[in-house]
Amino acid sequence: MKSAFNRSVFALAAIIVVAGAGQASAQQKALHSYQSGTKEFWTHPPDDWFLGDETEAQKGLAPPSGPPTGASEAELAALIKKIKLPPGFKIEVYAPGVLAARQMAWGDKGTLFVGSFGLGNVYAVTDNGGKKEVKTILKGLNMPTGLAFRDGALYVIAVEKLIKYENAEANLDKLGDGKVVYDDMPSYAAHGWKYLAADKDGWFYVPFGPPFNIGIPPTSVSQIRRVDPKTGNAELVALGVRNSVGGDVDPRSGKYWFTENARDWMSDDMPSDKLNMISKPGEHFGYPYCHQGDTPDPKFAMGHKCSEFTPPVLNLGAHVAPLGMKFYTGSQFPADYKNNILIAEHGSWNRHKYQGGRIMRVIVGPDGKNAKQEVFASGWIEGDQGYIGRPDDIILDKDGSILVADDWAGAIYRISYKK
Amino acid sequence: MPIMRHQIGINALLGLALGLSALASLSARAADIAAGKEKAELCVGCHGEAGISQTENIPSLAGEPDQFVQWQLVFFRAGSRRNEQMQPIVEQINNDDIRNLGAYFASLTPPRASAPDDNPDLSKKGAQAAVGRRCASCHTDSFAGTKAVARLAGQREEYLIKALHDYKSGVRSGGGMAAMAEVAYPLSEEEITALAHYLAHL
Repeated sequence: MKSAFNRSVFALAAIIVVAGAGQASAQQKALHSYQSGTKEFWTHPPDDWFLGDETEAQKGLAPPSGPPTGASEAELAALIKKIKLPPGFKIEVYAPGVLAARQMAWGDKGTLFVGSFGLGNVYAVTDNGGKKEVKTILKGLNMPTGLAFRDGALYVIAVEKLIKYENAEANLDKLGDGKVVYDDMPSYAAHGWKYLAADKDGWFYVPFGPPFNIGIPPTSVSQIRRVDPKTGNAELVALGVRNSVGGDVDPRSGKYWFTENARDWMSDDMPSDKLNMISKPGEHFGYPYCHQGDTPDPKFAMGHKCSEFTPPVLNLGAHVAPLGMKFYTGSQFPADYKNNILIAEHGSWNRHKYQGGRIMRVIVGPDGKNAKQEVFASGWIEGDQGYIGRPDDIILDKDGSILVADDWAGAIYRISYKK
Repeated sequence: MPIMRHQIGINALLGLALGLSALASLSARAADIAAGKEKAELCVGCHGEAGISQTENIPSLAGEPDQFVQWQLVFFRAGSRRNEQMQPIVEQINNDDIRNLGAYFASLTPPRASAPDDNPDLSKKGAQAAVGRRCASCHTDSFAGTKAVARLAGQREEYLIKALHDYKSGVRSGGGMAAMAEVAYPLSEEEITALAHYLAHL
């Protein structure tokens, strides 16, 4: 499957990363260079990939670690009472015990498949007389955050492998090893976890994050590809994308919209995370040169102007961490929700007072102009840096309610509306 | 942006602040130390009385952060960390046991080096390597660890060497351990030896 992207072509690119990254002292501003022309670079990205030019005041900001066993049923019962929703909406626990739950996908026969983060699990949630049963159907995969279901097959993307499991719903207890249908992807974990969104032709949009906070990306990342799981063919549809872990195809236009997490360590309020739309193949969305459509990177702009790049449809806010998103195509919610975008915001870590950790509603036409957003569901953050849960994906249920995955509480919620 | 569950860039002060808020939210789960102690009978054979290991290549668990212990048990159970001896153990424990075991081991007095430092020069090299590799930014300045990050101070020297080799070779890898895999990969044998000696004698 190396047809579309050949690593060796890119291997000559020398990667230069500035760095306070990699230096013990924040005062040290010497350029730090990495050579990508070695096999080592692809298997072992810079060990300081997650750090940046942190200031003294930013020291200590770190991704928080959730409860390893998720929230118990009693804790979840208390949790959902704290969630605020617009009038007429209701939240309930759909399934507890889905540890580190990430992207969700429906099987044709009503099985809810759920990926996970570092645990390496893929789950199947089935209905047993009204009670949800959570079964771990795959174990030991490398960060299987993204999955999709097409023509009876479950597809799981685990960093560098897109794996197909045929006839999955009939074989929940014995899925086997599956078949790798696309693997032209770097194997490193750094921003290597992915999301899958299928278009009408059954090709998947697949995001590729850079293996660091900010730097000149190795050639085959910081992009979105469109991948055909039937043939393993792929095409490049977007460049200049940092870490995207969510997107959906617009039911009105067929265009791909995606969320994007902006760089860290600039400040608590800069730059904003983004909602983007690919109007035409090959657009460049600015990373690492320009952030939030109007802010040249202090080090990496290198003479580029923001006007060279495709601006976001909407700036969502700094460090809100927008992940999974869906166009609302159901008919249960009030009529003005039709074709709105619902975005699961995972919430901050690189900010002194966390924000995000909620579900946003974006109201925007198919042209992407004049987008506006409002809070749809909130209450998962307590105090300045406390989470009781972290929403990370959304999927519609048949009845028009939505399901929300939470990898902190290890649970799936259902949000429904009744007049 | 989302990154993973490992702790990055924590320093002791902020760790404390975060720790307090974590404590507040954890208190709701009311982990049971006594029940954890009872369950820990399963662990004593290898990890030693009161969490102090007397066995080569088996880590001491006393004083390890609550969440670190819990995460490792969850990783063993999920199969993302593999170990023949641990496998049958984790099959016998449920989520409540994991919470209780975390609370129990965290409550124990941490290990101290059993003998005085017989090679202060090596420790000095280890201390320098620890600064160069930014170990303290996650493991804290005292190397007592915090939340999901392991205590290293006073750990068995040969176990620290084993753990660093496991990270370096990719035996321990995956989402929860990604930071260590990348940090350990470029370490030289000399650095590993020095780091282990230094940390074991803290």
